[in-house]
Amino acid sequence: MGRTLPSATQTFLQEEAAFARFRRALRRSDQISLDDLFSSARQHLAAAQYASHALPFEVFLLSMLLEEHKEVERLRQLLEEHLSRQP
Amino acid sequence: MNTTLTGWLLDVYPNETNLTLWLIGDDGQRHRLVQDFSARLYVAGPAARLRLLWRWLEQQPIPVHLERTRRMDAFTGMQTVLAVEARQPARLDELFRGMLAAFPELTYYDADISLPLRHAAAFNVFPLAHCQVELCGDRVTGLQPLNTPWEIEPEPVPLRILSLEPDCEPAHGEPQSVIVSHGRVRYILPVHNRTQLLVGLSAELRRFDPDLVLTSWGDTWLLPLLLQASRERGLVLPLNRDESMAVVERKEHTYFSYGQIIYRGRQVQLRGRWHLDCHNAILWNDYALQGVLEMARVTRQPVQEAARLSPGTGISSMQFVTALQHELLIPWHKQQAETPKSTMDLLRADMGGMVYQPTVGLHRDVAGIDFVSMYPGIMVRFNISPEVPRARTDPSTSSGQCLEPAPGEPGIIPLTLAPLLNKRLTLKSSMLHLKRDDCRRPLYQALASAHKWLLVTCFGYLGYKNARFGRIESHEAVTAYGREALLRAKEAAEDLDYEILHMYVDGLWVQKAGCKSPEDFEALLADITARTGLPISMDGIYRWVVFLPSRVNKRVPVPNCYFGVFQDGSIKVRGIEARRHDTAPFIAETQMRLLEILARAEDAAHLGEVLPQAQEYVRRQLHRLRTGQVPLEKLLISQKLSRELGEYSSPSPAARAVRQLQAAGKTARPGQKVRFLYTLGKPGVRTWDVPPPPDPHSVDLPRYRTLFERAVNTVLTPIQYSVNGGMDDECLYLFPSVKFQPVAALLRGNVA
Repeated sequence: MGRTLPSATQTFLQEEAAFARFRRALRRSDQISLDDLFSSARQHLAAAQYASHALPFEVFLLSMLLEEHKEVERLRQLLEEHLSRQP
Repeated sequence: MNTTLTGWLLDVYPNETNLTLWLIGDDGQRHRLVQDFSARLYVAGPAARLRLLWRWLEQQPIPVHLERTRRMDAFTGMQTVLAVEARQPARLDELFRGMLAAFPELTYYDADISLPLRHAAAFNVFPLAHCQVELCGDRVTGLQPLNTPWEIEPEPVPLRILSLEPDCEPAHGEPQSVIVSHGRVRYILPVHNRTQLLVGLSAELRRFDPDLVLTSWGDTWLLPLLLQASRERGLVLPLNRDESMAVVERKEHTYFSYGQIIYRGRQVQLRGRWHLDCHNAILWNDYALQGVLEMARVTRQPVQEAARLSPGTGISSMQFVTALQHELLIPWHKQQAETPKSTMDLLRADMGGMVYQPTVGLHRDVAGIDFVSMYPGIMVRFNISPEVPRARTDPSTSSGQCLEPAPGEPGIIPLTLAPLLNKRLTLKSSMLHLKRDDCRRPLYQALASAHKWLLVTCFGYLGYKNARFGRIESHEAVTAYGREALLRAKEAAEDLDYEILHMYVDGLWVQKAGCKSPEDFEALLADITARTGLPISMDGIYRWVVFLPSRVNKRVPVPNCYFGVFQDGSIKVRGIEARRHDTAPFIAETQMRLLEILARAEDAAHLGEVLPQAQEYVRRQLHRLRTGQVPLEKLLISQKLSRELGEYSSPSPAARAVRQLQAAGKTARPGQKVRFLYTLGKPGVRTWDVPPPPDPHSVDLPRYRTLFERAVNTVLTPIQYSVNGGMDDECLYLFPSVKFQPVAALLRGNVA
């Protein structure tokens, strides 16, 4: 209400929509993975808004990377636990 | 002969030559008094034009006193202005219209302030103020307030209240009788015999002489009907205590506020006593009569106005009174535009509060902590006001992260808000120490919720271009301070090893292993207050709380959709079906009851024990629904009409219901609520407010079943998931919480 600029959520939805043609041409399995990436970027909309970056998509990409890295670390930890249980 | 009188100020309104005051005397009498009062407005512009205006004013039939003086404009600084004082206050408006027609280019100040507000500012009084009046005959020569609007427990006023209520809702059916009651008296007057109705009511009004006529649908149905009948039959009905004045009638209207369309029905106001219609009073459900009286006390608006006003007008009135008392000019039409900003400045400033995405799922032993009245607190603490220069380190303009008040004297906004905020804080802290069944609790709650709406709106009005003391930069500054404070709170919590589950503008949800009692969080609260300078309080500790994902995309959390149970067993829900106004009562009640059953579990670990009871309850309710045992009223959907019927491109169920209303000769305006049932076949809905009652067999049970199941699943899905051994914080694979150690530490551990 009463804002001059679109909010981070609005910007995000616009950016996501801009990739509609790209998404359409992907295989179904890849589409699901792409949707996951966008969902993960949504986790950090508050931070993206606060950053007020002039190129918001860079922040969304970094958000995706952040979630991917968290996932890698989690898997790494699971693996370490698994390996440490091995005799 | 000079006399002195003490009593409560009931009403103030203009008559032809001066003001009429009504006082409920300490002697039990109702006194009608008059008071001489002159009203001023100010005009600024080129000196030559002001001289012409001066001459023009001297030729007008309305007597005026003219004076050249200097006054402060909040936006443009000190101004030389022409003060125009009308000795007959009721004619100021007429004079102003004339001035405006003859000199449209001049700048006008204080032009459209109502006389009761001017009177309140001049004598520092308010509706129901206890005051001492010096009298010469019935003419007031001196008026002193003996109390202030800021007392926590105002002395109760001996109001005489007469209730009038029809036997059914006029929109739904044809009322047959009116129930008249006061104290222990209660009787019925028939509606169809208008003469008997008028004579009976007239006798009651004269005998009981009420101060307040409290009605149901009095504005929209009863009083218009009575007034018309009294005109047609030539029978006098003394609705007004002041019989020299006419009853004031106002038309219905519809307006937009906070993204919602709002309908206000027509109004009937009395003189010498009050008329309140509990179905046409703003937020009556939230705060009832005590809230209305509190709204009038703090906003200084006459009670009948206060009951029907939006909180926005309320907060503006408070600002006007402050401005009048501090000799600050109130622009008639504000002309300030937003200051030009660079793209980067705009990017940094044009934001709202911080809204995080919560960690979806069920969480145990979570503390909900809130900044107390954060935005108003920021305005007062950091002196944010349109006329006050901004702090050098204001977080909305500088990239620095400082929290410093703006320099100089407190501005109009902090001056207006500080007493209100203090009163609210005092009420809130007193409430913490009251027992659950203490008789003062409902009163305090009513007062606090009246304040809440004023304070919420105050922030909105700061960013509203047409508000007289609105300025977008001040509005942006408030949100910037708010974001900074919330981030500092987050840092404080993380420094003390708490995990942040969610943050929402002015509140945080935090958890830490082993922290279960309020004492465990005291250090955190103290640290946050030290870092931000703003008071923060514990909303409560949840035994468990569930943050919900979006219904469309299960991987996306929704910021304001959650439910939980506090340690004292009370339930908090936001954004789920039970809170939505368009949920059928049967479904909302089922969902709340379901939560009550779950709240019996002493903690999340015991949810498994109550889950079968909850499931059994759902089965029983579903059975009632399927076998038609649910009364039709409990299946009613109530929706607001968002636009005129012709403006719908594809008619919503509400619009289809309105079409049926119109076919039966009834009207519905945007903002009004329409009640209907979902029915089988076309058009799929059946409006409730057209007789005859709908056929129970026509109800669209499958549709209600879908809605029922959706509401039940909202609550039970996450609970079942948790009970069945799902990891609470890891319902969804993409959002693992940071429960693992940093990799480096892990590696070190391995090496060791």
